[in-house]
Amino acid sequence: MESRNVKSSRRRLVASVSAIAAAVVLAGCAKNAPQDTFQPKGANAQMIQDLQVIVFPIAGVVGVIVLALAGYIFYRFRDRGQAIPVQSHGKPVVEITLTIIPALILSVVGVFTFRTIFDLAETKDTEMIINVTGQQWWWEYDYPTQEGISQPIITSGQLVIPVGTKVLLRETSRDVIHSYWIPALNGKKDAVPGRIHLLRLEADKPGIYAGQCTEFCGLSHANMRMETVALSKADFAKWVANQQKAYVSPAEGTKAKEGEAVFLNQCSRCHQVNGIKDANGKAVISAPDENVYSGAAPNLSHLMSRNTFAGAMFDLVIDKCRDDVWNASSEEFGAKYLAGVSSDCLNQKDLRAWLRNAPGMKPMYADPAKLEKSNGLYRGMPNLGLTEDDIDKLVAYLITLK
Amino acid sequence: MFTPGSKYFVGLTGLSLVAAILYAFLVNPNDLGSIALLGVAVAAGLIAGFAFLTRDGDTESATESVAANAEVPTPSFWPIVFALGAALTLLGLATNAIVFVVGLGVLVGGGLEWTIQNWADRASADGRYNSEVRARAIGALDYPGLAAVALGVIAYLFSRIMLTASKSGAAVIFIVVAAAVLVVGVLISTKPAFRGRASLLVTTFAAVLLAGAGIASAINGERSELAVVAEEKPYSASHRECGEEASDHYDKHAGNRVSSRSAVIATVIVEDGKLYAQMIGLKDKLNTVSVPRSNVTNILFRNLDKEEYRLVANLGTRTVAGTDVVEKIGTCTQLAGENQEQLLTINIPKSSSAENKYSFEVPGIEGKIEVVVP
Ligand code: HEC
Ligand SMILES: [Cu+2]
Repeated sequence: MESRNVKSSRRRLVASVSAIAAAVVLAGCAKNAPQDTFQPKGANAQMIQDLQVIVFPIAGVVGVIVLALAGYIFYRFRDRGQAIPVQSHGKPVVEITLTIIPALILSVVGVFTFRTIFDLAETKDTEMIINVTGQQWWWEYDYPTQEGISQPIITSGQLVIPVGTKVLLRETSRDVIHSYWIPALNGKKDAVPGRIHLLRLEADKPGIYAGQCTEFCGLSHANMRMETVALSKADFAKWVANQQKAYVSPAEGTKAKEGEAVFLNQCSRCHQVNGIKDANGKAVISAPDENVYSGAAPNLSHLMSRNTFAGAMFDLVIDKCRDDVWNASSEEFGAKYLAGVSSDCLNQKDLRAWLRNAPGMKPMYADPAKLEKSNGLYRGMPNLGLTEDDIDKLVAYLITLK
Repeated sequence: MFTPGSKYFVGLTGLSLVAAILYAFLVNPNDLGSIALLGVAVAAGLIAGFAFLTRDGDTESATESVAANAEVPTPSFWPIVFALGAALTLLGLATNAIVFVVGLGVLVGGGLEWTIQNWADRASADGRYNSEVRARAIGALDYPGLAAVALGVIAYLFSRIMLTASKSGAAVIFIVVAAAVLVVGVLISTKPAFRGRASLLVTTFAAVLLAGAGIASAINGERSELAVVAEEKPYSASHRECGEEASDHYDKHAGNRVSSRSAVIATVIVEDGKLYAQMIGLKDKLNTVSVPRSNVTNILFRNLDKEEYRLVANLGTRTVAGTDVVEKIGTCTQLAGENQEQLLTINIPKSSSAENKYSFEVPGIEGKIEVVVP
């Protein structure tokens, strides 16, 4: 009776342990895993992959051997009241062998690791540079003038690059340390205030590649996401042309025009829309440095050309349209992405909720009661107490910002 | 002598006093916590006093100690020092933090000495033995303490003299004084005859000389260049001499190699009388650079030519608050000689636009580099 109990409880233990192990292993096989580190989609990620497909198994085998040996020894020589064995000073042969074998393994791994590190750090063959600035809790990208970009471009959340091009990100931060990581395209690199760190990206095929800030940076760190969008070279040129398109004020008498007025009143102090003019026809330059702790707010000139917002935390398009773009084939992807956000696709629900109460959507310390700590400056976007009428107008206006 | 009970409470007093001070400094001086800890210190101190005076209520030992108390205490100047400390501390609270700190030092030092002496006086009926006890308890601290104070005074007075004297004069004084100290030191150690009255005479003479010269120098004030520098605000705030001229106020031995070369957004270079910029990753010689808005950003300036040049950043204009006066915003590096480098750190809070343009220039070199702030 008793022995059966012991047996069945042991069996139950074995069963549950193997169930957990199986679940852990299976979790590694998730289908929709855009941030999988074992699915390189570009040259740099491929270099890391080439290294890790060798090093990971070696490390795994060594790890399993060591664990199994340790387990065996714990079990085999457990205390059963036997006499303490004779103590000796070890065996030189065993010690030397056990030192030389790991040293050999490590030096082989080390040689390849160093080569990869140096290859990843190469900058001489750069074909395009982009300044990447992190702040709590979104990324800003600006493209200096260079071949193919005659006017500087600024955008946020979604980084757009041409495929098959060696792009050099020049990362820095406006507040705390962040880290830029698009697993499908390269490893991670910290963005440190006052420093400029270089990270190469190169995508083989058009598509969207997801990533996430990987240096804990405060309350909304988990909501600080980013995406890199790779376009064919021709599509990229179209994207550049669109980003450089001059501002067109909505036609008089439209709801969008009323929305522009609300925008000038409520939003322009933080958000720049290039080319926007106030009622007197004077160009408006925003002053996020006077309003926001990090000194920056996303440039909204071409908001509807991206399909996420608020640090890529929310989709700017509804699920159906999102799937349409994300699942598009390489050939169709560019055209679908460049179409931007149409009014049918606009994710009104989240955008309106954001305008209604941004801190309610994303934890940001934008609470006025807590502003003394930041010298009266908001962290993130505050709740502006807009009326539903204002929000209607603003949405009508924002959708024109392609 | 200290009894077990009084020892315990003396320890508690000391501990809570230290805790109160640490708390006040590290956490918050206006917090109830430090007041509570201070309260504990006072209460424990009181009990310690009672326990000490009553020898833990042990009447037998109290009678024994009558003899010790019978002795007239040694005349002592520590109460006066203690009182001086108290006065200085209070004065300091009303006037100056330095006076307060000095007062506190005198207060603690005087109090300690006084306490020890008092305690030693009661150690036994034998005055010699008592002073020995005292010496054992604190004598080891007397000389170093006095020496530290004396050295401080000497250093302070001497530094006044050095600040008044001209640069070369200061060097001469330094050499002469050092030589004199060496000579006197050698004399004292080698010629026993010199040790008595003669050395006292020399020391007194030196002390009077130092005191007189020091006070006179302090009244005279610092030499003119130092006085000017002392009045100046940090260089970038007050010296906008960003032209071709070499200014008096620049560091003439500035480092000509910059260590943070990898953390610059752009490098501006003067080569063969021409100005151009480079950005990591772009091979071209540029005449436009992008600088992220409202972020502290470094620019490296490298001069490859023979003449000295400096990099000037033109960062727009602003209207002086409450007036119509429009002033230029800008900053610049120091002059950099051939093959030298300088780092310029800027933060441009507003985007550039057609109306609001920024640029880098090098006085004496034609052309400029446009700075785009997206
Ligand atoms: C006090 C400054 C401030 C004001 C005023 C402000 N915002 Fe924002 N806004 C921000 C900041 C900061 C963010 C970035 C927040 C984040 O992603 O964490 C932001 C993000 C956004 C985004 C997402 C942009 C993107 O690309 O991720 C939109 C859209 C937006 N704001 C619209 C508006 C509108 C419309 C108004 C006027 C009604 C407005 N904001 C007023 C500071 C401000
Ligand atoms: Cu971050």
